[in-house]
Amino acid sequence: MASAVRRLYENRRVLRIMVQRDLSVRYAKSFLGYLWTIIDPLAMSMIYFVVFVLIFQRAGHGYSPYFLFLLTGMLPWQWFNGSVTAGAKALQSEAKLVRSTRLPRELWVVRVIVAKGIEFLLSLPILVAATIIYLIVGQNDPTVLPHVNWQLVFIPLGMALQAVLLVGLGLLLAPIQVLVNDTQQVLRIVLRVMFYATPIIYLVNKAPGVLEKILWFNPMTGILEFYRAGFFDSEIRWGPVIVSVVVTAIVFVLGRLVFQRLEPAVLKEI
Amino acid sequence: MAKPVISAEGLGIEFYRSRRRKLSLREMIFQRRTTHPRDTFWALRDVSFEVAKGEAVGLVGANGGGKSTLLKMIAGVLIPDEGSVKVRQGVAPLIELTGGFLGDLSARDNIYLTAGLHGLTKEQVDERFDDIVEFAGQQVKDGLDMPFRHFSSGMQVRLGFSVVTTLDEPIILVDEVLAVGDMAFKAKCYARMEGLLSEGRTLFLVSHSAGDLKRFCDRGLYLRQGQLVDDGPVEEVLKHYSDDNS
Repeated sequence: MASAVRRLYENRRVLRIMVQRDLSVRYAKSFLGYLWTIIDPLAMSMIYFVVFVLIFQRAGHGYSPYFLFLLTGMLPWQWFNGSVTAGAKALQSEAKLVRSTRLPRELWVVRVIVAKGIEFLLSLPILVAATIIYLIVGQNDPTVLPHVNWQLVFIPLGMALQAVLLVGLGLLLAPIQVLVNDTQQVLRIVLRVMFYATPIIYLVNKAPGVLEKILWFNPMTGILEFYRAGFFDSEIRWGPVIVSVVVTAIVFVLGRLVFQRLEPAVLKEI
Repeated sequence: MAKPVISAEGLGIEFYRSRRRKLSLREMIFQRRTTHPRDTFWALRDVSFEVAKGEAVGLVGANGGGKSTLLKMIAGVLIPDEGSVKVRQGVAPLIELTGGFLGDLSARDNIYLTAGLHGLTKEQVDERFDDIVEFAGQQVKDGLDMPFRHFSSGMQVRLGFSVVTTLDEPIILVDEVLAVGDMAFKAKCYARMEGLLSEGRTLFLVSHSAGDLKRFCDRGLYLRQGQLVDDGPVEEVLKHYSDDNS
């Protein structure tokens, strides 16, 4: 474990080059490159806002203002979704490079998570903008006034936890994707289920009884607690956070084991 | 005597004979196993040898003999199933030369990226940039800011060769790349390879050209169906190989 981290650290320059390569391919082309990063979560938040607030009139299932609540869930979800999809392809899509360079293979996974993480950071300005708008609007309409508080400091913690989770999932999925044909199709369905199993459009404690406890085992539930606490008048629920830390640790260890185990087979197949 | 820079011990790697070894989920669920034949073969087995610093070794043998597989294991891009190979110095692999290049970026950016992936810092690339471009030839020089995918395949390989051979790594692995490029470029490649050898670098060359092997190598390894059958002066090993095939 320590040696793996050290090897990654030794290759941090290569990691930086690869991340820059990813981002330059995405952003160097056009200004629209950046817009795509924010259009997706904005559009999704908009859709759910229209459906739940204007049509179903169920804004009470999230914190107020509901749009901000959606956004604080949607942005980390986008990082999760993008990283799992691209992380699973990390080895396959760079087959030529994997075959021709002698870098620690974990690097290909980590690089995807980092690149998507930077995109996530770049999407945060819309969260700041939305918060400021609601703070201004809230002066006249106290029902939509966000409660920005000191718990914002938990955001980096949420990011760190999410990064570990994503690296673990990437290490788990990348070799499987190379060896099993239908991985992408299965993954697409699983991710759709995961979207609704993550408290993005609702609050986890609005789920009845045992279902709430089941949702705790989705590590993203605890991670979203960290992201959201600083924006709304609420305390962090530590139950899901603790479960999330445990599940994340398990996923990470499992990912490392599977990756090591399958690495020789993957190299033959790729 | 100094420690050998490469030592292989009982090296073996096993492949599936069927091209479709990929698992399908349907089979895993419904049959609890895959229906593809579990037929395997050893691409290499019981291969042991040592290479000292500065040696130039040529790999000889028919197609499917395991030459490229051996080279890949030395390069660290395949992991042996049996035995081990220890490589004590850095390796510059001339395998899949254009692997690191991205079609959408310019040749200029690609040079920095690929050299960076192989461990050069930006400053080091700055220093060598003119050399790299010069070596790759005038066409490449004229198209430096063109997207890489607009290059002809010959130009792509030339640039790849140029980048990888400017690396400082003391061990150089060459897999059949000398066969590419036009005559003028080939002559340049030969000159560069000889230059690298005279600097005391260790060379591993896979080639079907007896001329190339004799020209660069002093030692030959003969692989036949995954077995190391001969190890000695390159002339003798080549003779052994041609006797086998006559």
